[in-house]
Amino acid sequence: MRIGIFLIAIAMMVAPRLAMAGQTADPIPAGVLDESRKTSPPTSSSTFHAKVFLEDALTTSAFEDGIAVPYPPALAVSWQDRASVDATLQWKPIKSLSFTVSDRANLYVQDQQAFISRDTIRNDFREGYVTWEPHTSVYLEAGRINVRNGAALGFNPTDFFKTRALVGQASLDPSVIRQNRLGTLMGRGQAIWSSGSASVAFAPKVMSPSPVIESDSLGVDLHVDATNAAGRVLGTLSVDVLNLSPQLLGYFERGRSKLGINVSRPIGNAVIVYAEWAGGQEKNLITRAIEFGQQTGTLPDTAPVLLPTSTSTTFRNDVAAGFSGTLATKATLNVEYHFHQSGLGGGDWGNWFDRGSAPGAPAALTSQLWYLRAYANDQQEPLTQHQGFVRVSWPRAFVNDLELTAFAFVDLRDGSVLSQVSANYYLSHRWTASVYVSSNLGAARSERGSFPQRLSSIVQLTLYL
Amino acid sequence: MIAKGSIVLVALAATLVRGGAFTDHPPSAADIVAAADNARNPSQPFRVSLALIEYRNGQPHDTTNLAVHSKLDPNTHQYRNIVRYVAPPRDLGKLVLLNASNMWFYDPASKASIRISAQQRLIGQASDGDVLTVNLAHDYAARLIGEESIQDADKQARSAWHLDLTASTSDATYSRLETWIEEGTYQPIKSKFYSDSGRLLKLAYYRRYETQLGWARPMEIIIVDAVDAHLVTKITYSDFRAEDVKDEWFQREYLPRFTEK
Repeated sequence: MRIGIFLIAIAMMVAPRLAMAGQTADPIPAGVLDESRKTSPPTSSSTFHAKVFLEDALTTSAFEDGIAVPYPPALAVSWQDRASVDATLQWKPIKSLSFTVSDRANLYVQDQQAFISRDTIRNDFREGYVTWEPHTSVYLEAGRINVRNGAALGFNPTDFFKTRALVGQASLDPSVIRQNRLGTLMGRGQAIWSSGSASVAFAPKVMSPSPVIESDSLGVDLHVDATNAAGRVLGTLSVDVLNLSPQLLGYFERGRSKLGINVSRPIGNAVIVYAEWAGGQEKNLITRAIEFGQQTGTLPDTAPVLLPTSTSTTFRNDVAAGFSGTLATKATLNVEYHFHQSGLGGGDWGNWFDRGSAPGAPAALTSQLWYLRAYANDQQEPLTQHQGFVRVSWPRAFVNDLELTAFAFVDLRDGSVLSQVSANYYLSHRWTASVYVSSNLGAARSERGSFPQRLSSIVQLTLYL
Repeated sequence: MIAKGSIVLVALAATLVRGGAFTDHPPSAADIVAAADNARNPSQPFRVSLALIEYRNGQPHDTTNLAVHSKLDPNTHQYRNIVRYVAPPRDLGKLVLLNASNMWFYDPASKASIRISAQQRLIGQASDGDVLTVNLAHDYAARLIGEESIQDADKQARSAWHLDLTASTSDATYSRLETWIEEGTYQPIKSKFYSDSGRLLKLAYYRRYETQLGWARPMEIIIVDAVDAHLVTKITYSDFRAEDVKDEWFQREYLPRFTEK
């Protein structure tokens, strides 16, 4: 009896220990608690910030002969190597003043180009501006500024300063394309408060516009004749209401003034829905391309009308709407619909193919037809009226340091597709290796299927300093 | 007879003492959680540097350095955060704005602000930085399960209150938490984080307490990924300091202008 009581007492004292031991199978591997390994954050000056990297990208392309509309041979570059130094610097000598510079210097070697030519060296001076904060959260700035707006990924109707701002790209991914984009010379004011912000930007006309495809004799052209060939004003108002984060925009440019709005909203924990709209009086894409070509000398003044079309100015709408969702694998899926009212409709495409594929069509005519497409690309607007966009981004895919991305633009009229698959592998903190493979798929008389560049690949190596 | 009774009473007393029932009325579950929040989150606006070391199979694999700027919203009682990437170099300058359901990712390379969902926020190492400023007292309904003795990360036995927390607001990141708070000091020792489906996502161990901004705070958190058994992240805090964090910072329009102060 005494022994029994004694055992009970012992058990009651030991039981908590047993319970504790049962809870605590050690999930922390040995070595994690090693006190000798300490990591301090990189130290940096609070007045100067810099991000610099070196990059090399080798592009190879396979072109197809026998396409519906002959392609200008000079544009069919089968390979190109680009070596770049990219730097973004910001200096803040005093609290209310800062200077920002963003630049990329490139060395190009490519097919159909002499090693030393006027296209060998190209400098992309993206931004250079000064910011003054005369009052808390009130900013005045002047210089070349990259002003970016919009909620969607594949097409941004409300990103009014996107036109003619693109320069050399490694990838066709819209998310990557905008990383090397020229700013616009402007003066800008912005006020930010706890529930919103407002801004106004004035970009003056500085020079007459340059043609769509042009190389510079020195390779260090600021391309001001691309970004500041027309006087423009943009006003924005952002407010925090109904969890929509709406942004209202008013854009003035002679012949292309527009109003716009973009909104976004979460749905549950995994989905974001978003939409953009811009509308205003303007001519259709074909008319604008012809007039621009004649203005810049790309098309002769007396050129016959390339394609029958209405030259009237009417109210035209642009819409981009879609959603992003997080998948179980932690990948992010974006699906969007794009409507570009001034783009080419079914009849326009029929005329484009009929004219270009007609027996005996002169090279000058086919070049001008392809110029139309180059103009749309230069303006960063869809060529077609109805387009779908799908993108999947998968970080830590299969292995920790691998990120996979794939996207596709789908012409909803003819079903043709521009697609790209890419892989980014983080070799170390500083080295990144990337591969991009893109293809144009579709019938011969389709938007993407008519493009001679069937398949292209880019192998890229980046070193962050 | 007296000897038998004494043994039982001693045995019973040992259990009662170990259970802590000789204390006065224990604080309520809500009080415990609120006090524990104070240990993790300063009440005044602050910034802190985080070094996140990712371990694979016990070996250090990757390091990310972040700077977190945080301020409590007096209206919602939620912490609003701006998380800035300091390292690795390829991510330098990227920002994540976390303001209740208004969350944005900003890439200075493209100058694009992309709205992200709560699930997207949980992707990547930066999500572990958000574990820091979870406002348990506001976002969760707490229930005291009992008093237990558990081992901390250093395998030291600690007397703790064991609480079960259930999300009570739509802004709560995790559907359910379990947490162990040390009796008397109110220092968090360990937490478990669960998904909406009840799946265990993370275990967090709090250690290396130091006085920072007027309170003993854990300077290191070990996060064990319950989904990937090979993955452990160690978050080390440094450069804890009060900061004049302005409300305007928590706008997407401010992100292109954000720089370290």
